[in-house]
Amino acid sequence: MNHWIRPLIVAAALALLAGCAATGESTTEEQQTTQDATAQPGITAQPGQEAYSYGYGQAPVGAYETYDAAGGTATGATAGAGGRPGQAVAVGAVPADRIVYFSFDSAEVLPESRTIIEANARRLMKSSRTVTQLEGHTDERGSREYNIALGERRANAVRQAMIAMGVTPQQIRVVSYGEERPAATGQDEQSYALNRRVEIVY
Amino acid sequence: MKAIERTTWFLVILMGVFGVMVAHAQITLDITKGIEGGGVPIAIAPFSGGAPENIAGIIASDLQRTGKFAPQPAGSRADYSVAGQANSGGSRGYVVQFQLSGAQGGQLLNLSFDAPANQLRAVAHRISDLIYEKLTGDKGLAGTRIAYVAGGGGTWYLVVADADGQNPQTILRSSQPIMSPAWSPDGSRLAYVSFEGRHPQIVVQDVSSGARRTVSAAPGINGAPSWSPDGRRLAFTLSKDGNPEIYALNLGSTTPVRLTSGGAIDTEPVWLPDGSIVFTSDRGGSPQLYRMAPGGGAAQRLTFEGDYNARPAVSPDGRTIAMVHRRGGRFHIAVLDLQNHQFRVLTAGGLDESPSFAPNGKMIIYSNGQRLTAVSLDGSVKQDFALRGNGRDPVWAPFAR
Repeated sequence: MNHWIRPLIVAAALALLAGCAATGESTTEEQQTTQDATAQPGITAQPGQEAYSYGYGQAPVGAYETYDAAGGTATGATAGAGGRPGQAVAVGAVPADRIVYFSFDSAEVLPESRTIIEANARRLMKSSRTVTQLEGHTDERGSREYNIALGERRANAVRQAMIAMGVTPQQIRVVSYGEERPAATGQDEQSYALNRRVEIVY
Repeated sequence: MKAIERTTWFLVILMGVFGVMVAHAQITLDITKGIEGGGVPIAIAPFSGGAPENIAGIIASDLQRTGKFAPQPAGSRADYSVAGQANSGGSRGYVVQFQLSGAQGGQLLNLSFDAPANQLRAVAHRISDLIYEKLTGDKGLAGTRIAYVAGGGGTWYLVVADADGQNPQTILRSSQPIMSPAWSPDGSRLAYVSFEGRHPQIVVQDVSSGARRTVSAAPGINGAPSWSPDGRRLAFTLSKDGNPEIYALNLGSTTPVRLTSGGAIDTEPVWLPDGSIVFTSDRGGSPQLYRMAPGGGAAQRLTFEGDYNARPAVSPDGRTIAMVHRRGGRFHIAVLDLQNHQFRVLTAGGLDESPSFAPNGKMIIYSNGQRLTAVSLDGSVKQDFALRGNGRDPVWAPFAR
């Protein structure tokens, strides 16, 4: 399959440039006002009226802290995928010879993927200290957590293929991103096909 | 190619920096769409006095959104009328007073509140809920909150907002995906999945203080957290033993107990009020919903319509399960009544996912991956949330206690 994948990837790299330029414009809304977290919460009924006390004095209206998760640095694997639906395809820095694609609803390694998996298996066998992370992905359709499970199934299929080719299991880590890191943001078959993938990351 | 790669990297980094700068600005969402159908006419007069919030407008919008009422201008013929005032004074800054009257002029409610200026919006929601409860006998939703995930493609946000989408607060910002928020039964904490460090983990965060604790970071999947009805345990999915299985963790302990086994995908656990657990499994060949006893073991299949039913959500009374249902290649929200086994498709979307019940059980909020929508359980009322950014994984908070 997928004679069209390679040119698409090149187009994708270009689209990433456009995508990046377009992403910056979207968020110039006014700053949220940080409300006074020390203000006494609670609204109480006045004496002389129908007695009533309100639980939402406990509701911390406006008192939320923003926590900045100390996330790891992005490898750029799918860093360009922030566009809106219908926008051009955007794939990050993982080269085409480290991406294995899958059919809809399937975690079966396709025969045409063997060349890519073999080449990466050879690389791992050549250097026993090299470790790869296999990152499983799905298209956006269906339940998000179920897609996490499907993405892991795909990554495990590539892992099993590599182990069968002679790679030491300890050299392979697996993580599934499900539909959370799409390579393409369109809502069409072409984008979905690009998103059903395992990225071989070093 | 190298040059392009370098430029790309530069832009990616630039984007990251910009993302951090504007992170606070992100999302506000407004309800745009009106309600189909009628509703009981209720005339709402502008509140006199000089309050900085349009209290009558907020009440009208809240009541309209319930689908049960049709707010009218003051003086219109209506079954009920609301009048009030908000004057500066009192111990907190403003005194808000309102009356709800019937068509014959009989007074049904007459209350007043002391509130600071920054809580006038909350007072308006409270008044809406008092009116709704007085006239329908059900608890109102105007004073409740929702949480959802926004962003993507470089910066992810976990947001808590009022049930009308206003007052959005980013409680977590991350350069890696955030997923599957779940409210604790008392509404004080959110459990969610964070990929910070490029590995999924389950985090519990106190919503008001921001204090957070990682409760699971096992090898493989750490996903789909769900609170037990008593708030003492979390069920979630781990794949550390090879494939996705459901575990329960007593929050006072560090060792989760495994509840499922076998080679299939078992995930998306949710607790019923009786402590049993509904979850998604593809043990029968396609994803379907199953139910098992609190301690795990044999599971009973619940869904038989079509070849894809996943991501269950349980109504507060435990009677109804909402889910993601595939039909003709399109994904919809469907509901299953556990008592009479009636199965209904509620939405016509195509990419609908992540249903969550409102705490009064009357509405379900869901996402199509980009936007949030709420639909009534009978399908008659539907409201879209207009977002300045995107929104997904919505969860309706319990009533404040």
